[in-house]
Amino acid sequence: MKTRILTFSLSILLAVAARAELKWEQNTIELHPSMGDKQAVAHFKYQNTGTAPVRFKSVKASCGCTTTQTQKETVNPGEKGEITATFNIGDRTGMQMKTVNVQTDDPNPAQANIVLTLKADITPAMEVKPMFVYWTSGEEPKPKKISLKAAKEFPAKNVTIKSNNPNFESKVEPGKSAGEWTIEVTPKDTSHPQATSLLIQTDYPKEAPKSFYVNAQVTNPPQPSMMARPPIQAAPATPAAIPSPAGQR
Amino acid sequence: MKFSILREGLILIALAALPAIGEGFYFRGKVSWQSPIPASELVTVDQAKSWGDGAIWVDARPDEEFAADRVPGAFSLNEDHWSELLPQFLPNWSPEKKVIVYCSAESCNAARDVAKRLRDEAQLKGVFVLNGGWEAWVKKNR
Repeated sequence: MKTRILTFSLSILLAVAARAELKWEQNTIELHPSMGDKQAVAHFKYQNTGTAPVRFKSVKASCGCTTTQTQKETVNPGEKGEITATFNIGDRTGMQMKTVNVQTDDPNPAQANIVLTLKADITPAMEVKPMFVYWTSGEEPKPKKISLKAAKEFPAKNVTIKSNNPNFESKVEPGKSAGEWTIEVTPKDTSHPQATSLLIQTDYPKEAPKSFYVNAQVTNPPQPSMMARPPIQAAPATPAAIPSPAGQR
Repeated sequence: MKFSILREGLILIALAALPAIGEGFYFRGKVSWQSPIPASELVTVDQAKSWGDGAIWVDARPDEEFAADRVPGAFSLNEDHWSELLPQFLPNWSPEKKVIVYCSAESCNAARDVAKRLRDEAQLKGVFVLNGGWEAWVKKNR
């Protein structure tokens, strides 16, 4: 009985001792991209601290917005390397968490499947709330408010607003603190569905002032059947009709 | 004899459990914990289809995937080009319509993120995430 247990324990110990092992410096990397950065790149460094080579079977990012790159397919004992994860920021804001699933040929399942996490905290230059206001057809055309708050790293002093649909009036008023404004949007009439994109133009940075958009529309009235409903007539073209600064998507 | 087998079994289970507990502790930081989408914000393909024209489909996948194939009538709204695509989507929305957002599969997060932005930033109500995403839709419809 004792011999059997001893043999069993020894075989487990030997299997563990002979295994290949990728040691990762960090499994989670937190990045703080600067305002205006298009990408955030994380370098996940590893070393094979085992006695057998490790081969990457697959390296997959959880999101189409993240691409990965492995330096080598097989990592020999003692070798170091890294997996690079490039996160394309696009129009994302806030805390973003993207994962990279790494599969190796390590016989130990706990080592064969590794999840690498890239966190990126993206501060929006301007907090716009809400980004969309609407009235239902026939509703009283009361003004609706949108608040703007510039980030600390975005010291805009002034903003202007421009609608691409003359049927919507808008005005900007400074808020309680510096870097805060309130926009008031009012449709001239709500008798028929219509939409507009409002261009918020800032004065920062001086060489290429940044702009933002908010949307306003008068929607169709609720109907029991929507089969024969006409689509809302959008403004001539949104938001391209309003000249946007170069390089601004 | 019976007692001996039982004792042997228990010893083996304990021996097997020890490394498992150790590994679980060692790799605790490597597990990806993601908050699941509340059931009230999820919709199945069948439920979504039953809404018919009362629903509007939003494709949160990247442009190339949307261009290749999509739910008929779906609008592209991804976070790569959010500020450009949102004004194209909104004129097709109306308050009584439900919004169904989908991405590639069960495991993708894009639909959840887009749905959250539609609720938080555009303050739309009745925004749902399609359970299983595009994969589930294809299974039921192709």
